[in-house]
Amino acid sequence: MNYTSLFQFTHFQAFLFFAAVISVAFGFLGRRQPKDRIKYILWCFLLFLVVGIGIAWAMYPFSK
Amino acid sequence: MNEENTPTVPLPERSATVREHAVLNENRAWAVAIAGWLVPGLGHALQRMWGRAVVVFVAVGLLVVAGTSLRGNVFTSNGNDAFDSLGYIADLGTGSFYFLARAMEGAGADVSHAGGDYGTRFLATAGVLNLLAALHAFEAARGRKA
Repeated sequence: MNYTSLFQFTHFQAFLFFAAVISVAFGFLGRRQPKDRIKYILWCFLLFLVVGIGIAWAMYPFSK
Repeated sequence: MNEENTPTVPLPERSATVREHAVLNENRAWAVAIAGWLVPGLGHALQRMWGRAVVVFVAVGLLVVAGTSLRGNVFTSNGNDAFDSLGYIADLGTGSFYFLARAMEGAGADVSHAGGDYGTRFLATAGVLNLLAALHAFEAARGRKA
């Protein structure tokens, strides 16, 4: 089997995949109640997006 | 002193039993931590924390498979510099999944593309996440966190 064809991501898809997987893991490890977990997962995911895109924009002037 | 309040076991013997129980609990916590490191999620499964066990197993597994299929670098012990050694330690954090990653990387790493670089980070993150989960299982086994 050719494992290299299992996952092919664009930059943004890789970013979303990473944020989603880690947020779910943090949510389950960090909180006990289902409602708290969902809130924490969404909060972590949002923070990943905001911080990631923020850093990308902050680095943009130095990319050329 | 009321007879009902008199301890049935003499105090020195009772404290010895408590100490033995604490040592047993500590040994069990270490066993849980090592099991959790070797097989992602097993540390939580041994404590019947099924949801956490499944999520840790799937999250670490997904990151390892994605990292390998993106042709990330699976570091070995023959590193050239400190970063390679750190990468090796992080990759080893996945426990048995490290060997899965080694077995899957048939074509070798390709970090000349962004995908390969992402893959390297996914693999390292899988290792660190699994170490964090093993630490969480260890603390839960000691009764400090749930």
